[in-house]
This record gives sequence, C-alpha cells and structure tokens, in this order.
Amino acid sequence: MTKKILVVEDDPTTADYIAKGFEQNGYVVDVAGDGRDGLFHATDGHYAAIVLDRMLPGMDGLAVLGAVRAAGIDTPVIVLSALGSTDERVKGLKSGSDDYLAKPFAFSELLARVEALQRRGPSGAQPIVTSLRCADLNMDLLARRVERAGERVDLQPREFRLLELLLRNKGQVVTRTMMLEEVWDYHFDPGTNVIDVHISRLRKKIEDGNRLPLLHTVRGVGYMLSETA
Amino acid sequence: MIDSARLRLRLPAPIRVALISLIFGVVITVPVLLFVYHQTDTLFEERIHDRLNDDERDVMFAYANAGPAALPGAIDQALRSGELRGGVALLVDPRGHKLAGNLAGWPPVLPTPSEWNEFRLFPEGQVRPDLFAIRTVALPTGERLLLGATISERERMRASLVEALLGALLLAVPLGLIGGWVVLKIAERRARAVGNVASRIAAGDFSHRLDEETGGEEFSMLASAINAMLERIEELVEQLQLVTDSLAHDLRSPLTRMRANIERAGGADRDRQQQAIEAVSLDIDRMLRLISATLEISSTEAGVGKQHFEEFDLAGLLRDICEIYNPLAEERGMEMTIVAPSTLAYTGNRQSIGRAVANLADNAVKYGGGAIELGVADAGEFIELWVADGGPGISSDLHEFALGKYRRLEQARTTEGSGLGLALARAVARLHGGDIELEDNRPGLRVILRLRREPTNLSLL
Repeated sequence: MTKKILVVEDDPTTADYIAKGFEQNGYVVDVAGDGRDGLFHATDGHYAAIVLDRMLPGMDGLAVLGAVRAAGIDTPVIVLSALGSTDERVKGLKSGSDDYLAKPFAFSELLARVEALQRRGPSGAQPIVTSLRCADLNMDLLARRVERAGERVDLQPREFRLLELLLRNKGQVVTRTMMLEEVWDYHFDPGTNVIDVHISRLRKKIEDGNRLPLLHTVRGVGYMLSETA
Repeated sequence: MIDSARLRLRLPAPIRVALISLIFGVVITVPVLLFVYHQTDTLFEERIHDRLNDDERDVMFAYANAGPAALPGAIDQALRSGELRGGVALLVDPRGHKLAGNLAGWPPVLPTPSEWNEFRLFPEGQVRPDLFAIRTVALPTGERLLLGATISERERMRASLVEALLGALLLAVPLGLIGGWVVLKIAERRARAVGNVASRIAAGDFSHRLDEETGGEEFSMLASAINAMLERIEELVEQLQLVTDSLAHDLRSPLTRMRANIERAGGADRDRQQQAIEAVSLDIDRMLRLISATLEISSTEAGVGKQHFEEFDLAGLLRDICEIYNPLAEERGMEMTIVAPSTLAYTGNRQSIGRAVANLADNAVKYGGGAIELGVADAGEFIELWVADGGPGISSDLHEFALGKYRRLEQARTTEGSGLGLALARAVARLHGGDIELEDNRPGLRVILRLRREPTNLSLL
C-alpha cells in the first residue's frame, strides 16, 4: 500500500518542495493551500502523516490541529513553523502535534522525522516491544542489556538510549537534533561534532573488532542503523 | 479636512498665556476682595446698631425717670454732645407735631416702631442731605421717637472697595501679560534647546546632550530624563550598526564561498559537482544556524519565554550538558568536571538555560583549555551558574566587547562560530532577572550566569 502524506502549506514553492521530496521517496502527496482545505482533507483521507504549516490563511495551523484532534483523528502531525523558538515549539507540541520543525529546514530532516512518526504510530497504539534487533545486534529493553553476536556490550545509560533510538528507527535516518531531543530532551542545534563524538564512541562499542558495520553516517543529515550500507 | 475644534483654540501663544494668567488673577483676587468687603460691611453695621441701641437706651432712661416732658431736653442734649452727634433725632407728639430734634418733620412712609431703615434725610444745620440708619420707637404716651446715625461712611467704604476691585483687575491684565510673556520666553528657550538637540540627533549626530545644570529643577529633571533616553538610543543605534555590519560580514563569507563553489562546479565532472553541492549546503546550514541564533536572541531579549517557566533541577541540567560535551572535551585532551549540589530546584525556562550553558560549554571546549569546570551554587537572591576553563582566557579589557553580538575575538576568527554564544547566554540570564559576567580564572576564563531566584522557590530550600 502506498503511503499518503497530507501537506498543508500556503506557500506554493515550499509546498512543491515538500511534495516533490516525499514523492521521490515513494509517497503519494495531497497538498492543501489553506487551513479549511487542510482540515477537510485531514478528516476525510487516511493519511500516514500530516505536515502542517503553523501560519495559514483562513485558519491558523494550531486551530486546524485542534479541530483534527477534536474530530478524533490521531494521524501523526508534524508542525512546520517559521517561529523557531523553543517556546513556540512547546506550544505546538502542547496543542497536539507529534513533532515540530522550524523553518527553514532540510528536507532530509523532515523526511527523517515523518518516518520516525509513522513508526511510532498513533499515540497509545504503540505495541509493547521488549527487544530490538538489527542483524546480530540485540537489545533487551527489559533487562537493559545489549549483545552483539551473543557477546555483551557495556553501555552508559545515555548510550543505551541513543542506541535504542537508532534501533527503533532502523533503516531510517536519525538527525543530530532528533538525537539531542530524544536522548537528552534539549531542543537546540548542537552543532555538528558534539553528537558525532557520542556516535563514534557508540560505534566503537558495538562494532568492536572486525564486525559488520551497522551504524552508518548519512552525510549532511545524520546517522542510520542498518544491516546494509 | 480642517479640524475646526483645533482651529478655534489656535490663539497666539502669548495671548493664550496672558489670558490664562489673567483668569488666574481674577479667580484669586475677586473672592478675597468680596470677603473683605463683606466682613467690613458687617462690622460697620454692627457698630451703627450699637450706637443706635445706646441712644435709644439713654433717651428711654430719661423718659422713664422724668416722663415725656423730659424728652425734648434729653434729645437736644444728645444731639449736641452725646452719641447722636452728627446724626438725626426727632420727637413728635401723637398728632405728629414736632416736639424736639433736628428734622423738620416726620418722614412719610416711615413705620413705627422699626429697627433699621435706611433713609436719605436733610437735618437742620447741615449743608446737604445724608444717608442715615434710622430707628423709630413708639412711646407709651403716644409720642414717636426717631433716632438716626449717619452711614455715609459705609457708602464711601463700599465705593472704595469696588474701586480696589476694579483696580486689581485692571492691574492683573498687564501683569498677566508680562508674567505670561516671561514664562513663555523661558519655556520657549528651553524648548528650543531641546529642539536643537533633537534636530541635531535627527541629522545623525548622536553625541549631543542637553545642559542639565542650568534652569530650574523641573528643567534639569526633564533634561536628564531626555539625556538618559538619548544615551540609550545612541547605545542601541551603535549596537544595531555593529550587529548589521557583523551580520553582513558573517553572511558575506559563506555567500562568497558558495558562489565560488557553484562557479567551479559548472562544467566539472559529477564527483566535483557533488562535492560542490555538499560544500554549498554546509554553508547554507551555517547561515541558517546564524539566523536562527539571531532570532532566538532577539526573542529572548524581548522577554519571550517567560510563559514557559517550569521547575527543574539545575544540577541535573549541568550533568546533562556535561554528559553531552564531555566526550568532545576528552577528545581534545580536556576534562570536564561538575561542582554542584546533588539537586538544586529552580523555576525558569529549562530549554533556554540549557542552550545558554551548552553555548558556554561549547566555547570552553573550542577556545579554552585545561580543566573545564561547570558549576552551580546558591548565592542567596541569585543562583550562580559558571563555566570555567584553564585556557588562554580573555583579557579583562575585552570582556565587555566579547559579550556583544557577532563579536569574535581575533584568536577565534579562524574557527567556526557565529559569535552569538555569549550574547545568547547574556539574553537568557537577563530573561531570568540576572546577568552574565566574565572573570579571569587565572589562568583562563570564568563565565558566570546569575539567575534570579523565583520567590516561590524559597520554600524548597
């Protein structure tokens, strides 16, 4: 089944940029140019995710979001906004969105976040997972143990959470800001090399010896855990 | 359209001021004079009343002692030497014939008895008629008695009071005009001084200030308020200029690089083109980061973020930041340690404080050296957060400079950075009612963030 994405964005250039990007990644995209249209689509179609601009003509983005949630639709929503401050972000998340991305953004960041949202699924409907796996890397979430090819890997608590984040998003790119948000709960741009050092430590631990590399760098975007390069 | 209400009130300023002082003069003088008039008049009438009472008593005393026959003598006596001197008296028999006194006959329409009548009479032996206050008495034996005291003095007094009133009013006009003119001239001179400074500033010269010494207290107060405002404006304009210049400079270098990369990519092979595109997107990211940091600082400076104050553990925040940055520090041969109590509850904006401390830690790793210390301590009214390193530091005369936006000290020019880290940290400290301070760590730099403790937190101590 092809996945459908709804993009609610009034600026045609940005809408086109986002739509093209998703189409290239195998999605079918509907674009709504204003809040009312967006709300109409959202209540009607079965979308994998909704990309919602914060500032819209006709109806404010957060108002659309409120109406969508009030209608009992729990499609994951990511809010885009030129208001990038952490407070706006909190406001966005509080009004029912699943993620928040400040404009301008790189498409790869948006894609990574939308795919992460789909995996997470609608809130509450998350299946209980007790272990995560990638090739011969196994993570036991209950015992908080990580093994590579049956051998125990000792991880610091944050390294564990970082690896968990990567494992939950197996085969998908996780950006540096996503890592800072998910693992440490800070919403600022950490600059490139801060997270890189953490990743290289983690990599050293799980790829100790001449094992198959699992943790790949996606240049200019972030990192991805996958069995194939 | 013409604003008619405004046109109607558009009198020339000197006339307006004169009118106002005139009205003031009248409002103050008239009641005073009226009061004086009323008081004097009452006093005067009381005195006349007393005299008439005395006269009546004397005459009645004589009547009581010696009967009606003694009255003519008593009256003549009184008119010659007693209280009635200068007044009038008349005694008539029951049929109205004159028995004694200095009036030719009983004035018609004068009732008997009566307390107080004012009549113009012409007593015998006087050259012209005069105004009298008259009392009439009916005697038990049928005779009627008239006693009067002159009240022309009162009339004179009344006239002179009215004259004084008119005079005062007449005087108020020129005085008001002169006073108004003087006040106007003084105000005009001050206003012109302010106007001159204002127009010089409008022309772009911000160095001018008003004289705060001369002129009355109000004017020096005004002058110093305006000067303080000018000081702030000058500071802001300078800052803005510097920010614009630095921002332009910081944007120009990546833009120039991007242009060069794009030009080089044209006609090159695929690999080269790929490299150029990557280089360009790196530069774009750098510019985006610069712009969002700038916006974040502006909104923090504007006080945005106060709505999202929450209680959190500052010591935990330091541990987080240390955990995030320590690997990077270790990679560069430095070590990051924490000096903090196990927990320290504080109400503030966790995200922006986290970002500020992260900026300071990032700076310490990039430009500092040796051991890096992150610390937090309760300093009473304030919470002090610090990031100290043992690197080359910043010489104290450059401390203030380093806190500005887009300020990158010479040794930092070659490394990556927006020059906004300290400026953001300062904005965050100010958002929390505190400030930032740079200190010499001997060796190295110690950056201290002071955050005002929220009063609600005191109970958690």
